[in-house]
Order: sequence, then structure tokens, then C-alpha cells
Amino acid sequence: MSESTVRKSSAGQPAAVQPLLELRDLDTDIALRRGTVHALDGVSLEVMPGETLGVVGESGSGKTMTALSIMGLLPPGGRVSGGQILFEGRDLRSLPADEVRRTRGVRMGMVFQDPLTSLNPTMRIGVQVAEPLRVHERVGRAEARDRAIEILRRVGMPRPERIVDNYPHELSGGMRQRVAIAMALVCSPRLLIADEPTTALDVTTQRQILELIDDLREEFGMAVILVTHDLGVIAGRADRVAVMYAGRVVETAATEQLFRSPRHRYTEALLEALPESAIRESGAHARLYSIPGLPPDLSRPLTGCRFAPRCRHVTDECRTTDVTLSTGEHQHACLHPVPAAPAAPVTLPAPVRVEPAPEPAATTAKAGQPAATPVLSVRELVKNYAAHGGGLLRRTAGQVSAVAGVSFEVGPGETFGLVGESGCGKSTVGRLAVGLERPTAGQIMLDGVDIASLTGRERRRMHRQVQLMFQDSYAAMNPRMRVDAILAEPLEIQKVGDGTARRARIATLLDQVGLSRRVLERYPHEFSGGQLQRIGLARSLALQPRLIVGDEPVSALDVSIQAQVLNLMRDLQRELGLAYVFISHDLSVVDYMADRIGVMYLGKLVEVGPARDVVRAARHPYTQALIDAVPSITPNATAARDGVTIRGELPSAVNPPTGCRFRTRCPLAQEICETEPPLAGDGHQVACHFPLRPESSEASARAGAAA
Amino acid sequence: MVRYLITRLGQALIVVVLVTVIAFLILHLLPGGAARATLGKEATLEQLAAFNHDMGYDRPWIQQYGMYVQRLLHGDLGYSYQLNQSVVEAISQRLPKTMVLSLLSTLLAIVLAIPLGVIQAVRRNRWPDYAITSLSLLAYATPIFFMGLMMIILFSQVWPILPPEAPQGFTVAEVLADPAGLILPTVTLAIVTIAVYSRYVRSAMVDNLNENYVRTARSKGLSERRVVLRHTLRNGLFPVITLLGMYLPALFSGALVVESLFNFPGMGQLFWQAALKRDFPILLGVTVIISIATVVGALVADLLYAAVDPRVRLRGSTS
Repeated sequence: MSESTVRKSSAGQPAAVQPLLELRDLDTDIALRRGTVHALDGVSLEVMPGETLGVVGESGSGKTMTALSIMGLLPPGGRVSGGQILFEGRDLRSLPADEVRRTRGVRMGMVFQDPLTSLNPTMRIGVQVAEPLRVHERVGRAEARDRAIEILRRVGMPRPERIVDNYPHELSGGMRQRVAIAMALVCSPRLLIADEPTTALDVTTQRQILELIDDLREEFGMAVILVTHDLGVIAGRADRVAVMYAGRVVETAATEQLFRSPRHRYTEALLEALPESAIRESGAHARLYSIPGLPPDLSRPLTGCRFAPRCRHVTDECRTTDVTLSTGEHQHACLHPVPAAPAAPVTLPAPVRVEPAPEPAATTAKAGQPAATPVLSVRELVKNYAAHGGGLLRRTAGQVSAVAGVSFEVGPGETFGLVGESGCGKSTVGRLAVGLERPTAGQIMLDGVDIASLTGRERRRMHRQVQLMFQDSYAAMNPRMRVDAILAEPLEIQKVGDGTARRARIATLLDQVGLSRRVLERYPHEFSGGQLQRIGLARSLALQPRLIVGDEPVSALDVSIQAQVLNLMRDLQRELGLAYVFISHDLSVVDYMADRIGVMYLGKLVEVGPARDVVRAARHPYTQALIDAVPSITPNATAARDGVTIRGELPSAVNPPTGCRFRTRCPLAQEICETEPPLAGDGHQVACHFPLRPESSEASARAGAAA
Repeated sequence: MVRYLITRLGQALIVVVLVTVIAFLILHLLPGGAARATLGKEATLEQLAAFNHDMGYDRPWIQQYGMYVQRLLHGDLGYSYQLNQSVVEAISQRLPKTMVLSLLSTLLAIVLAIPLGVIQAVRRNRWPDYAITSLSLLAYATPIFFMGLMMIILFSQVWPILPPEAPQGFTVAEVLADPAGLILPTVTLAIVTIAVYSRYVRSAMVDNLNENYVRTARSKGLSERRVVLRHTLRNGLFPVITLLGMYLPALFSGALVVESLFNFPGMGQLFWQAALKRDFPILLGVTVIISIATVVGALVADLLYAAVDPRVRLRGSTS
């Protein structure tokens, strides 16, 4: 078998090689107390040897259930109720259980989403990695250990001979995911299934892991099924893509083909809902296309196209006819597909990085308005937490430097984006700004008033001006309170108006966030993620704040729902003149939302400037690395980038590096970096001794004009 | 590790001192007093006053407590006039026998409860789970004196195969020489413990079987047996460690009801009789012993945790 043969789908002829894995009409049911969910309905897929198949879809689309069905790892109550799983020509459903288990253990490997919980906490790394060898190949203890070290080395683990004796909690998330990959590969499988392998990781780590999987695929000559919700991840890595919706495959094609010319109306809508598309299509901060409504309930019988209720191009026929996948290389299940693009090779849109930054946008001008007092002004903000080390005596062993001298301003009606990876202190800045925590040092001014100078009561009144919006709104609401009580609570606490006035205010809030009055009598658990974010936003708006600090407000949402919430936030900003501090790890979302962006690394602001300048012409090496690591839906854009790649792990904030905190990972670092670089520049500031490029004349001119 | 131990022992000492203070105060504030209890109803006021003076009971309580602690540090827990022996002697006669009974029943409980809990978790919401759950609840809800009586009636009256009374031997060797007599008290004590432990094991195993790492283990193509025994069991046994730590004081205090029921001359019986007779030195002595056992039990549980769970770091040194 020539394992590394990749089917050239654009060639238009079927490959001579047999598929490694073929799903035929797979049905999977999950029996729950309240009924049976038909999680998969007639899923057919093929994976050729050596190929990467991307399976993409939103939550509930069945992408993970497909992976779990193949691996025989369905949750309690789940079972494959129909169809075939042909692996190397044999149907796994008709083989004896022992045989199937062996096949899954040796010939297939799986990597799961959450590396923090996917490893046994009380077993040494080496034992876990080598376990399949011990069980399936009856390898002795010493040899198993050697082979564990060997495979750990091949997944890029530093000092594998020491790591084998460690426990999972001693490793970072990225390192644990490498261990999980090593474990899946230890028996040299033919097929690796990676279910959201990088969703829980930071972008720079994500890039390292995805590249590792790519390299290993070639090295081992294996096929990969990459399951993800992230279209950018798929675009950069997969040979072919299958798009799933509501338990069915709705479209499948070669990656380039699919992203260049999607045929199914759902795929089309999904791509349009990405902030990246909005920025590229119109250059300016256009409104996102958002798919209305929610995916269907799979425990009910469904007829017709499952996307019909949310589709722009729906006809009566769609609701009644069961559409099956068309045949050929580019298959889709749509009665009114997007017209096919011309067959001639189309020049791909240039990768985002290369795009010029021509936009003298109104937004940036607004940001520089000289007269207006900033809504929020933060100066030399410092927050240290005590790190405890002394057992139960709790002696302070040192300090975690969470925020170390951060200064920025947010003007009225402006959106200030704060990006950075986990642990950089961006959320702490948000919590300090809304007064949930007190800074160790530094000044926070709201509307020009230093809040440290205020006493308790005035302070509380002042804090009406600033409200927080959470990532997980469900966790941020009392599950035993109805929505009316949740929305009334801020008004009651601040003693605003009487009962009638409050009810009127709540009605207005619901109108503003686009929810019907009926939600008032319901409890938080009855809502979907997008609705909860709307309720959360309504609560933040209750006291008519001037600034909302959103801490990852859309990170838990699917793309189509994310677009709804982002649009809503924009609309409200325009109507109410709100300012936002938009905190996110997702650079493309921040790029879409923000007028100005601040990039944080290990408690420091390393770069601040107008959004387009920061993203298109980054000056700090860290910012550039972050931008390069963001997956893009432009196929192969990620691969084409040759910018700054950072290696290694985030240093501890207990003893952060002196001088420039990024210098330990920076490719440009020199001796001078041991002294701290100041945040310098006019409009587009950077804290770096060796900025990648000088400040664009536009940016400084804009700042000059503003001053 | 060493520093951790020193810290914990320091805390333990504080707890023990507080317990003695509280026990001392409560016992001395009780009406009646030791003199009346010791000398009987016929004693004259002069005799009572003389007794109190001899014992130092007429001095301020703080001074009495000081004297008590001083003796305590010399290993002198006082003298019981009612038993006509020193407290240390009274306890050292009974403690080993109580420990025999408690240890046997605890061992029996662990050996049975862990497999039962595991079976319940693996077969959860199917008939083995329901059956064991029902029996556990029944055992847990039955008062222990009733359970003991039923045992006696069943196994020494209706079907006379076992003696209704625990061994009456004076030393541990004599007690062990009569194993048949130990069976009923041991089993009676164990039944309730099994019910409690198996519930804990079941719920911990159910939680762990739903963890992601178990799914990872299954993805390696391991047999279900290996998944349960090699991956899940160890993590599922953590709650049992806490229970064992909490059980240590019971090892010393003895089981009051069971010892009385089977007439077993152990710590439980000693304490009960001392309470009835207001035998203050015995009551105080037993309380101090149990408080030490409680504190040590918590410490042992923490150390065991650190031994089995690598995530638990006993900070306090450079280890």
C-alpha cells in the first residue's frame, strides 16, 4: 500500500487506492431520559490513506459523534444503529468485540479536545504513553519505557527521558497535548482522529500542535481526521473537508474548492458569518452576516433540508424534499446551491498580512478626538497577587505579577480591544477596570475622576458607568433566579426608580437586545448560549453604563451565533454611544470589533495602536507571531506565512524575566533587551528595542493631528 | 515534607490543648461533683470538703487545670477511685481489645465495600446497582442495637452456631483465643460501615468513569477490566482515605452500643460506665486519647493522600 498517496481531488478522477476508512449511511442514536437524539443520520464519508479529512460544523452538528462512533467511544446511551464503518475493508460493526478493540487500539489513535483532563492524573506520563504497547504488543516494561521516550521525542517534547517519570499536572496544556498525541501514535496507527485538538490551547501553541500533526502525518504515512469548529484550522490543514449540519454531511469537497466556491447555502452562510470575511470583503467594519435562529432539535422527526428554517434561499420544496448528497468530487445536499465558480483556477485572495492598510477610517479618527474626556483612563496599573508556598503556614513565597504597569485610554463610543494569550493579564485588567478588584498600584479614572479618591457610596455610583459582560453568562447568573429578577437586580441594588419604572426599563432592555417579553418568566438553563449572551448584555445595560468591559463575550459561541452577538454589540454601541473594552484571545474577532487594539504579554502592554495598523503592520515581534499563528480561511495562508514564529512556553509570572518580558522567546532579542523598553510612539506605540517596522507616517500624522 | 509535618504537629498540639481545656471545664461545671459521686450519699459535708481539699478540687479551676496538665505531661492521667486503679492502667487494659474489634470490622468493611462500590458503578442503574443500593440503605437505616439484637437472635438462638457474648478475656491473647465470640460484634459493626463506604466508592467511581481520561484509556483499546482496575479504581478510592482518617478515633473510642450489647470490655464500655458514675478522671483521660486520635487521623489521611495522589503537594520544604 502506498500510504502517503494523497488523492488529488481536483484531478477529477477517482484514485486507484482503496479508502482507508469508509462510513456508509451511519446512524447514531443517543438515548436520553427525555427521548432519543438522532445524533447522526446517514453519514457517509471516505478517508484515503495519508489524507487529512477535515470535519467541520457547529456544536450539535454531529462532528464529534462521528469521531466517537468510529472509535466506539459513544457516551452512555449512545449506539450506532445503522450503516457500516469500513476500516481497511472490514466492517467494524460486524467484527468480534476483542478484534475491534485491538483494531482501535493499534490501527487508530485519537486525540481529544481538553488536554488538561484527558490524561490520567495519577499515572506517570511514560506509563500512560506506553500502555498500548504493553497491552497490544506485549512489550516488556523496559522496552516500553524506551519506546515511550522515543515517541515523546518525536512529538517534540523537551527532555523526554525526564518527562516519562512526570505526572500530567506538572506539564502545561500544550505539552500535555503533545503527550496525548504521542499516546495515540505509539502503535503507529494508520488513522489519527483529532477532535478539536487545539481548541483549548492558545493560538501560538495551536500553531505548534497543528504543525506537529502535519509533520507526523507525513512521517508515519497515516491519515488524519481533523474535527473542528474552526474553519480557519481546517482551511490551513485539510486536503478535503466535510461540512456537517444537524447530524448530516451537507457538503464535501477538496479544501481549496470548498473555500473558494462553497455550494451548500449553509457553508456559504457560515463563511460569511466570520469576522475575517467581513473585513476582507468590504475592507471596513461591515455588518456580519448572521444566520438567524438555532439548529433543529434532533430528538424530533425532521423532514426536508435541515437548514431550511434558517436559510435565505429556502423554498417550499426544501421543507418537504429529503436532499441527498450529489455525486462527484464536490458533493452537496442543496436544492438551490450557490452557482459553481468558474473552473479556471482563481487567484486566491492574498493572505491578510500582506494587505495594505489604506483605511483612514472614521473610527480611528473618532478615537483620536482631542476634546472628549476618556471614559476610562488607566495609568501605570499594577496588580500583584501573593503566591503562597509555605504549606499551611501560608508564608508568602513570592508575587505573581499579573499586571505590570499598564496604561491606556478608552474614549467615548470607542472600542478598545485587548488581546493576548491566557495568563497575560488581560482579564485582570478588565476586573480592575470595573472595580471587582483593587489595583496594587496605579490609577483608574472614570470620566476624568480618580476612583481611588471616592468614598464607598460615590464609588458605587461611579461604577454604574462601567459594567462587565462575561464569557460564560450561564455561570454568571443565579440559576434559581428568573430572568426578570436577574435584570431587575442591578436596578434594585442601585435603588433606581420604583417597581413600575424598573419594569419599563427591563422592557426597553429586552427590546434593545432583541428578546421577547416572554423570556422574563423563564430561568437561565432554558436558554441557548446566544440568548444567554443577550440576557447578559441586557443586564450590563440596565444601569445605562457608558462603558462595557466584555471578557471573551463571544468565545463560547458558534460562528453563526457569534455573528448575531457581535452585530448586536455594534448596534447598541451606535444607538447608545457605548464604549467597549473588548477582551479576547481571538485576534480576528478583536480586529473586527475594535477601533484600537492593545496587545498584552505577561502583564505588560507591548503594543497599542489603531486596529488596522496593529493587525496589518504589527511593530512588536510578539504581535506579529500572534497574527501569524491565527488560522485563516484563506487556504494555505497559514503555511505561506514565514513571519515570526515563537517557540517555547510562557514564562512564570512569579519571577517574570527582567527587562522586556518577551525577550526569553523573542527571535530578535539582544543584550539591550535586558533593560525594559518603554512604550514609545505617537499613535501606534510599541514597547520594543527592535520594532519590526517604524511607525507608519499615517499613524503618527493622525496622532499629531489629534494632539 | 519535614517542615509540613512539624507544622501539622504544632497545629495538632493546639487542638489537643483546646480539647482538654473544654473537656475539663465542662466536666467541672457539671452539678453533683466528683466528691459526692465517689463518697456516696452517706458522706458528710466535712468528708466531702476533705475529699475536695485532698483532690485539689477547692482550688481555682485554672490552678486545677495547671496541675492536670503537669501530670498529663508525665503520662499520669489521674486515678479513678471508682475502679480503684489509675486511668492509664484502666485504658491500657481495654484499648487493645477495642482496637482488635474495630480493626477487624474495618478490614472486613473495606474488603467488601470496595468491590461492592465498584460493581455498582460499573453496572450503574442496572439491577446489581439497585440491589446493592437497597441493601445499603436498609443497613444504614437500621439502628445498630437492633441489628445486633437481630444477629444474636438469628445466629445464637434460632440457629445457635455462635455465642451471643463477646470474648470476656482479660488480655488480647485471651480475646483472640475465642474467635467465634468475635464474629457477631465484628459483623454487626462492619455492616453499617460497608453501607457507608460502598456508597462513597460508588459515587467516586461513577464520577471518575465519566472523566475524559477514562475515555482516553478506552481509546487505547484497553479492556473494560483494565480501564476500571488500572485507571479508575485508584482515583475512585480517594474518598475512602478520608473516611479511614475519620475512622481512626473510633478505633480508640470503641463502639459504645456494640460493646454494651455484646458485653465486650472495651473503651466504649469504660467510657459509658464512667459517664454514669461521674468518674471524671476516666472521662477526661478517654477524651484526651480520642482527641489525639482524631487529630492524628486527619494527619494520617493527609499523608496518605499525598502518597497516592501526585497532584497533592505537601508544601513546606523544597521537595
